[in-house]
Order: sequence, then C-alpha cells, then structure tokens
Amino acid sequence: MEEQFANLKPIFYGIFGKQKNIVYEKPKFAERKIADMLKELSKISLLDWERYAFSRDPLVGRISPYKRKEYMQKSWECGMEWADRLKSEYGNLSAEDLAKKLGMETEYPILPENTDRVLFAEFREPNNIKIYMDAVNKAKKYLFDGDIKGIFCDANIVDILLLHELFHSIEEKYKKEIYTRVEKIELWSIGFFHYKSNIIALSEIAAMGFAYKYSKITFSPYILDVLLVYGYSQNEASGLYEEIMELVDDNERKHDER
Amino acid sequence: MEYIIGIILLLTFFGLAWYCISGNNLMIGFLIISIIWAVLSFAGTLGSSPAFLEENKILQFAGMKGVMDALNTIFQKAPEDWGSTLVNVCWGAWFGRVLMETGIASTLIRKTVELGGDKPMITIALLNIVTAIIFTAMMGAGPVIAIGVIVLPILMSLGIPKAIAMFSFMGSVCAGIYINPVIFAQCRAFFIEKDAVPEFNLGWYASKWGFVAMIILLITTTVLSGVYLTKSKTSHAWAATVRKSAQTKDAPFYTLILPIVPVALKIALNFSVIAGFVIAGFLALFLCGKMKGNFKENCQLVNKLFYDGVVDTAPLVGFLLTLPMFNKVAAYAAPYFKVLLGGIFPKNELVLCVVFTVLLFMGLFRGPLTLFGCGAATLGVVMRIGDFSLPFLYALFAIPTITVNIGSCITQSWVAWGLAYTKVESKDFLKLSIPNAYIAGILQYVAAFILLGSLGGNWLMSAILK
Repeated sequence: MEEQFANLKPIFYGIFGKQKNIVYEKPKFAERKIADMLKELSKISLLDWERYAFSRDPLVGRISPYKRKEYMQKSWECGMEWADRLKSEYGNLSAEDLAKKLGMETEYPILPENTDRVLFAEFREPNNIKIYMDAVNKAKKYLFDGDIKGIFCDANIVDILLLHELFHSIEEKYKKEIYTRVEKIELWSIGFFHYKSNIIALSEIAAMGFAYKYSKITFSPYILDVLLVYGYSQNEASGLYEEIMELVDDNERKHDER
Repeated sequence: MEYIIGIILLLTFFGLAWYCISGNNLMIGFLIISIIWAVLSFAGTLGSSPAFLEENKILQFAGMKGVMDALNTIFQKAPEDWGSTLVNVCWGAWFGRVLMETGIASTLIRKTVELGGDKPMITIALLNIVTAIIFTAMMGAGPVIAIGVIVLPILMSLGIPKAIAMFSFMGSVCAGIYINPVIFAQCRAFFIEKDAVPEFNLGWYASKWGFVAMIILLITTTVLSGVYLTKSKTSHAWAATVRKSAQTKDAPFYTLILPIVPVALKIALNFSVIAGFVIAGFLALFLCGKMKGNFKENCQLVNKLFYDGVVDTAPLVGFLLTLPMFNKVAAYAAPYFKVLLGGIFPKNELVLCVVFTVLLFMGLFRGPLTLFGCGAATLGVVMRIGDFSLPFLYALFAIPTITVNIGSCITQSWVAWGLAYTKVESKDFLKLSIPNAYIAGILQYVAAFILLGSLGGNWLMSAILK
C-alpha cells in the first residue's frame, strides 16, 4: 500500500505541486548491524573477493572464472610487491610522508555524498589525490564499537584510502613495466589487427593489495566499501553486503562443485 | 482596443515565462493562462474596431452559441483530441520498461563496452551510438535512470571525469529522442490535430530531417566529449556503487535487435507505433524467458510493467493535458498578437533560424523556446503570426526543446537525477552542455533551413489552419 502511494506521488506533483522530478526508487534491503556485517566480511579470505572485485569491471563478461582467479592472484601479488619495493626504497614512511615523497598533492575535502555511488578517494593525473572526508568522518564513530575495533585494531582509514590512490600514481609512473598495465585482454580482431584492452579491475585489486601490505592491516580493504557506505545509508550498505556475500557464496559453491 | 488587449496578452506571456522558469507547476500554469487568454480574447471583441473583427473570422462568434462553441472547443475538444497521443505515450513507456525488465537494454550496453575496452574515446563513441539507438524507442526518467546506472559507472571506471561521462550520456540519450515515435507524436500534437496533415508522419519527418538532427547531435556530443577529455586529466576513483538491478544475466543475442523494431516498422512501413511496441514488447518478454509463469503471473508482470511505465511519464501528463487548451486558445489570441507584432516579426525562414539560434539559451530552464515549458506559448504566437511550413516550424522548436531543454538543461528530470548521482555541480555540467547545445543547434538549424526551409503550398500553416 505504502509503495503504491509512493508511486502515485509523481502524478500528484504533476497535477498539484511544483514540477517535481521523478526520483529513482531505491531497493529496500533487510537492514543489518554494521558490526555483524564487518565480522562476516572479515572472514572472507583475501583472494576470495575476486568475484566482487571483477563485478564492477566493464569487461567482466569477457573473463572466464579461471582467468579471473589467476588475475586476482597476480594483481594482489603485484600490489604487495610494490609495497615492499617502496618500503625498501624509502624506508617505513607513513602514508602521508610517502605521498609527499612521491610528489603527490593530497587534499582532504569534505564532500557530502549521495548513496547511489559513494566516492571515497580519487587520484587525478598527474599528482593530485583527494580523500573525501565526509564518508570517513561518518564511519569513524563505528570504529569505537568493541567488535569493530577487534577487526580494525589501529588501522587508519584515511591511510588505507591514500595508499590505494598512491598505487594508481605508481602505476602511471611505471606503466610500461607494471603487471596491471602490461596485462591485456584481446577483445576482437579483424585479420591481423588485434584490439586489446587493459582490465581495470586488475588496477583496483593491486591497489587494494598495496594498501593492505603497506599499512599492515589484517583485513581486506574491500571491507571499507560497506563501512563507508553505512555512514550514509544502512539500507544501501546492507544491499552491498548482501551482494558481496552472494558473490562469495557462489564462488565457494563453484569451488566445492569442482 | 485590440492594441491594448495585445499588450496585456504580451504581458501575461512574460508572466507565464517567469512562472515556468521559476519551476512552478506547468499544468496549473497553462490552465490559468488558457482561461486568461480566453477571457481577454473574447472580451476584446467587444471593443475592437470593426475592421479588425472583419479581418479575423475566428473572432466572429455570432452570439452566445458561437462563444459556447468556441469555449467547448478550447476546454473540451482540444484535450480530448490529445488523448490519442497519450495512449502512445503509455505504450511507449511500457515498452521502455519491458526493455529494462528483460535485460535487453543493459545487455546492449555491456556488449558495447566489451567492444571498446579501456580506451575511453572508443567506448564513449560506441556507447553514444547504442544509447541513442536505445532511446529511439525508450523514453521517460525511469528508463534513462535504469540505463544511466549502468553506463555512468562504466564511463567513470574508465577514468573519464564524471562531468564528461554525464554530459556524454545525456547528450546521446537526447540524440535518440529526435526520432523517438512517442516524443514525435507528443511534439506534433503541439502544432496540429492528430488527423490533420497525415503526410507529416514519423517516416517523412525522420527521412527529411529527424535522422540528420540525431546524427548531428550524436557527432557533436561525441566530438566534444573527446575534446573535453583531451583537456582533462584521467582520474581513478575508489567508490562503492550499490548495484541497483539484479538483472545481470545477458539477454539472448537475437533479442538485441528488438529496441529498434517499433521505430523501424514505423519509418519503413508507416506501421502502427502501438502495434510495434506490443509486438516487440511481447517478443522480448517471451524470448528472454520472462513469461514462464502461469497465465495469471504473466498478466501480473505485463500489468506491473505498464503501471511502472505510466508512472515514469506521469509528471508531464498533467501539463500535456492542459496544453491543448492553450494551443487552441492561442488561435483566438493570435489576431491581437498579429496587430502588435505582425509588423516586426520575421517573415523569412533564414532570419527566423538566425534569431532562434541566437536565442537558443531561452530553451533552458523551461524558458520561452522549449515546448516542454513556456515555448508552447511562443509557438502559439509564432505559428499564427508568420506563415511558415509545418515541418520547418516543427524543426524550429524541436531544437530548443530537444537539444537544449531535454539534452542540456538541469531542469530535465533525468539530468537532475544524473547530477545527484554523479555529484557533478550544475555549473560544471552546463559548462559542457551549453557549448554543445549551441554547436549542435547551429548545425541543426542550417540543416532545417536547407532541408525544410523552402516547403510551401499545403505545408504552410496558413493552409493547414484554414
């Protein structure tokens, strides 16, 4: 009944109200406590995030499950390798100092988000990184919860976001040799002409691996997707959690079948 | 007296423009202005000069019965006649929902992206073409949002700045709308009654100018996206996108042709648009396995899609139901406008094209050049003051309505949604969309002048409105 009333709203506005625009009706999900969700998500092993990691890639339909696993492993290793490499090169610098060392200009704007797409951080070529603090500030209050504290320990969310974006800057600098840029997939060919493309998910996975290794956290940075969205909408975060769990379960089921 | 009435009418016209630009309800606005114009036009005959009345047969009422007939034509017959267009709108909205439900639209987008890969410019070009094709058949905020939540994250994941992604997507949606049969039927109803000038159908319009206008907008949007892209820096964002649709399964390959079936049938064979929607819609539902339930369940699905589709178009329906009253009453007000503006109004197609090109910005914010705003009032005046051909006038107003209002203005429902979704500032979007509106608009006016500027004889409004 409530839904029908909501659907009739635009007709009402069309006739009586201001010329209101139609808005997208967000799906409703069973809302969950953030601590419960993070606890479950933290149990997912690092490489089992593979289906979620690829689910946002435009080329996901062209990559076989077998290839996906291989890409996941290699990309994650690539990110970790670069974390080690930078540590050995520059010493054990903080994320912020590393950013300075790499010539990055880091900004921390407070930009309110809407929940359709929550933007956490952004690297803009050649050397600008923005960490959107509104999402971080909203999430901070949950970190005092005992269960969540157990998962996050002393992890600094801003550092994780910054390190993730720093990896993209490293990719740019070493694009001729870094795995995530060298690895390509053939999309189509005509005669001798072969059209190849990079896979965006590889960059994102490696950036997660880099942030994971460099910041020495014990959980997958992908968890932050749910935590940082939760500050805006418990419903949307629950939807995201459901999707992740479905993808992971499906993956495990396929493992078992094999 | 006719001069005084003319001046008052002109003032009410500007009042309506202000009312529309302020974002007030269009249905109520047009209802009020219809009543005001009817009162002024009818009352004006009491004190106008005999020569003026002699010259304008429409204002010779022959007693109370004549006045009643005129009022009935304005407030009863005109909106009733528009009912047939409304039916097309509803079926078109249903078909849009079917393409979403079956996953045909999303599959088309995904397959297109898989051809382009990580090269932003190639992907933008391919996506623009496919999006335009999709929106030759789909319409309304619901379908645009449904496709937008697929296309925009893809473009942004390729490192395309969000403002450019948004601009490119909205421009390509708008390009498709140029030959969308439902929009054509809606806009056509602004000019003439449904049964008048049957030669002016989608097939004729599309082959003479519609396709050209669509291609121009598609090219300018794509080229400008490329230009903007070369000036901007690639970005890599960490963002969480909540998946809106559970529909990730690809629709069968052979069903991807279905979105163009209604338009193709209409253009090639002048086949019924509604029948085209029904055939293609049910084929889509059956071929994509959506009708596997029992009869009752299948009926419920079809019904739900129809309901959702109608809700998609609801905000404009009220406005479009009072608009025919206004169009009709404008005929009675026109003689007064003619007295006032007839001497200074351009009589030449080229001059009119130049004037409209310069004033294209007036299509923004529901201003006096967009038919989905105050432009309906302008049309009422222009149509009756000058004597131009119907197709030329159609193109004259379609450009500010479609290219400027629907494609470039933040008052368009789905553009407003896109701004909220991508978090692009209004001014950043307008900085990209207004240059495109002008470049595309100029080229489209050139095409309109060359292709439609010299139509005469039975195409002239004086012959049609006789």
